[in-house]
Amino acid sequence: MDIDIADESHQPQTGFSSTRKAIIAPVDDAHPFDLEGYISNYTGRTAIERLIHIVLTCPSIAPEAYQLAVQHIHQSRDPTLYQTLLTAYEQSSVNSGVSFPSPYDLAQLDMKWTDETTARNQADRTKLEVELKSYTNNMIKESIRMAHRDLGDFYRQLGDYASSLKHYTKSREFCTTSQHVLDMCLSILELLIEQRNYSHLTTYVFKADAALDAARATSAANNNGPAGATGTQQKKKVPDREDVQAKLDFATALSHLGQGNYEKAAHFLLKVGDLKNLGDWISKLVAPGDITIYNTLCALATFPRASIKTKLLESSTFSLYMEQEPYIRELIQAYLNSNFKTVLELLSKYSTRHYVDIHLASHVHDLTNLIRNWAVVLYFQPFATIRLDRMSAAFGWTLEEVEQHVVGLIQSGDIQGRVDSQNKILQAKKTDYRAELFARAIKAGTDIQATNRKLLLRMRLQQAELIIKPPKSSNQGGNSLSEFLNVD
Amino acid sequence: MAPTDPLQIMDGILQHVTTASNSVAVEQYLSNLSPKDLRETALASTLSSGQDPLSVLHLTQNTLAVLYILGARLTVNNAQPLPFDLISDFCQQFNPEQARLAPKRVTILARGINRLAASNNNPRSAILPLYNLLRRYAPDLSYLTTIHQYFTLTCLQARHPVAALDILSVPITNIETSLSDLTYNDNLIYHYTGGIALALLRKWAEAEEFFEICVTAPGSYPAALQMEALKKLKLVQLISKGKTSSLPKYTHPLLIRQFKSTPYQSFVNSYPHNVDALQETLHRDRNTFAAEKNVGLLRQAIERAPRWALKKLTATYLSLNLADIGKAVKIDSEDEVRAVLLSMIEEGDISATISADDSVTFSDPPPQFTRAQVDQILRDVQSQSGYLDALEKDMAKSKEYLSKAVKGKDGDGPGGGWVGAPDEDVFGAMGSGSSSGLLGGVGSGVWDEINFA
Repeated sequence: MDIDIADESHQPQTGFSSTRKAIIAPVDDAHPFDLEGYISNYTGRTAIERLIHIVLTCPSIAPEAYQLAVQHIHQSRDPTLYQTLLTAYEQSSVNSGVSFPSPYDLAQLDMKWTDETTARNQADRTKLEVELKSYTNNMIKESIRMAHRDLGDFYRQLGDYASSLKHYTKSREFCTTSQHVLDMCLSILELLIEQRNYSHLTTYVFKADAALDAARATSAANNNGPAGATGTQQKKKVPDREDVQAKLDFATALSHLGQGNYEKAAHFLLKVGDLKNLGDWISKLVAPGDITIYNTLCALATFPRASIKTKLLESSTFSLYMEQEPYIRELIQAYLNSNFKTVLELLSKYSTRHYVDIHLASHVHDLTNLIRNWAVVLYFQPFATIRLDRMSAAFGWTLEEVEQHVVGLIQSGDIQGRVDSQNKILQAKKTDYRAELFARAIKAGTDIQATNRKLLLRMRLQQAELIIKPPKSSNQGGNSLSEFLNVD
Repeated sequence: MAPTDPLQIMDGILQHVTTASNSVAVEQYLSNLSPKDLRETALASTLSSGQDPLSVLHLTQNTLAVLYILGARLTVNNAQPLPFDLISDFCQQFNPEQARLAPKRVTILARGINRLAASNNNPRSAILPLYNLLRRYAPDLSYLTTIHQYFTLTCLQARHPVAALDILSVPITNIETSLSDLTYNDNLIYHYTGGIALALLRKWAEAEEFFEICVTAPGSYPAALQMEALKKLKLVQLISKGKTSSLPKYTHPLLIRQFKSTPYQSFVNSYPHNVDALQETLHRDRNTFAAEKNVGLLRQAIERAPRWALKKLTATYLSLNLADIGKAVKIDSEDEVRAVLLSMIEEGDISATISADDSVTFSDPPPQFTRAQVDQILRDVQSQSGYLDALEKDMAKSKEYLSKAVKGKDGDGPGGGWVGAPDEDVFGAMGSGSSSGLLGGVGSGVWDEINFA
């Protein structure tokens, strides 16, 4: 079982900030962002981590976020988070070059609370470990499993991911039913999502999938037995399966997103289906609005127009999501109506909203680029020639920007055209297919002749057994000849 | 038993040679001449009368004897001085049928001519005799002989690669070990030196083919010369195409792997856009490059780098002005850009026009083929298909193939031993592959397999 964890797992936040180039997202009238409204969607640890991320990315609201974070920390059980928060706050101040009000004036950690929590944590740990020990001595499988699970939960609350994962995986040995395996997998998935360890997610999704199938098989078998007794239980099981499947799809999507497979991410996000399916993961890990945004950005960046229309705009499940973030509907509609200027404006207006998301932040840049490139390609498609200034009007760019983008796309092969730089015109490439076919056929013909000739020679050499042999393969010819190689 | 005085032996030889009835007997006599250790000395000496045996013998009628004597004189120390004109005359007049009876002596002669000219400090004088020897000895130029490598080597030593062009333009397709005592080195050196000669003449496509043949020569272990050829191959590709193309599948994998660890690989990687990195590589590994005599090629490649960058621009732009082009290909002066552009237009690399206001308009006229060209190519392809068909049939009736096919059939059960079925399968596939050569690379794959089967 995999229990190797990236080194920075103990303090993912600091590791995160140092490896990433500091993104600074402005918060002003042009880039509205409602911190209170945003953070009220989350509870628990993810809220604190999101706040720390905001402190780092948005210096202009860092003090506010800092205060909120301190409040949230008081509700958690992990006083070490405060240290991380402080580091982030100072880092943000350095990054933005603005001096912030001293963190100790804004809000301070209640020392009494800290001491109490630490003491309580210590006591709990001892208690849980003693329990585990006694169960292990008694060899009661089910109790050992639960003890491991509790310890896992406990360490997770403290932010000790490595120990948490260790206990969760240990509990695997004591699982007696596939339902238990499934529970374990889901706990680990939660843990990994919290930890933002995207590459590991798929492993546990896969395991959970297998466990899910097994659980269903057993329940089906039960169903065939004494009919009436399990009937009610069966009814409870069916929605359960959908829940789990939705969670697994979400985890898969997140892992694809984390690894930059935007198309697959969008595909799996669409499979998540009804919001209610995600159950307690909403707000504990993710807000519905986040899913909307991930899904829309990934889809716009990778899907063809027709699927965007059918899968997003006309889908009844997705319209529920769109209510979460009203601008998303506007964005998709602008895209489908080819109002690319609006699309780009909306993307830039809400870029802060995108940058503050802990899962999305590192991909916003790539996604925006992809969407923009698609837009340029789509815009040019119906034209044989177009003046660049018309494109610049349509996209709201300067002429140089347009030219730069178009040239980039031509060179990457996305646009079949050429730029008339003197007159600022983009022309679609005209190909004479007949002539090209001739050229290709003739080239293939001559190439094949040359290849055959070389192969025939090679065959003759082998027939004559003129084969280079290992021992004295180096020949004196190499040196005496090389003096004539100096080509002027 | 025989007289031990070399002079007397020579008299005997002369006597025997001039009276023998046919050349096969002469060859047997000469090659079995005993005692062995005295043979060369004897052959290199004069007659007992002090007369030069070569003046008695007829160059055409007594080709074999002359060949033996020439070879001996060229190798034995302190032999009779040999007039160079005599060698030239011999190369022009010798009788090829007789000479083919003693391939080893021909090799010795070729090597001797090369050495003699080099020691006279006049390598150029050896070109013509070797050329004649080569032309007359080989049944036709598609046969590889041992003379080939000395000929191209001499042309390079004389710094006169044009002379080799006549020979180099006919690709080698036949190997006949009975014609010439070939070793794998003959093939390697000929194609390597030939490639260099062609590269000197800036016939890049042909040079590429020669180097490729050298690099892909069959072997269980790569030769050092192949590595050198591979380096040159990659550079020639950069010069002629602006990028390297992958080697055929049958290239020895060790060669490719070793190449990756040479400074050439980093040069290839940064070609053509990163001119600074190219210069830096050239500078940093200058000693290696100089030791391997590749600086000239590297410099040519760097010189041509802007052309490839420029060529890429034509795919993106319809018109640009000179200053912008300069920026894109990293040349500061507009005049230089103009010069590069003009030379590219002249050489037909791109089609463009420069107008008075310094703006350049690119166009790409579709490739045009005349009827005659197409017909010519079709004829070529047909003749090649015919040739391949003939080869198939030859192989199908060859003893080796049949015995293998019969052996393979034995295990199949009763009634085995008739080879018709597998035979047709194999050649059906091969035939279709080769005749559809115009459309795809099927033929080559089949050949490869047959080859190893």
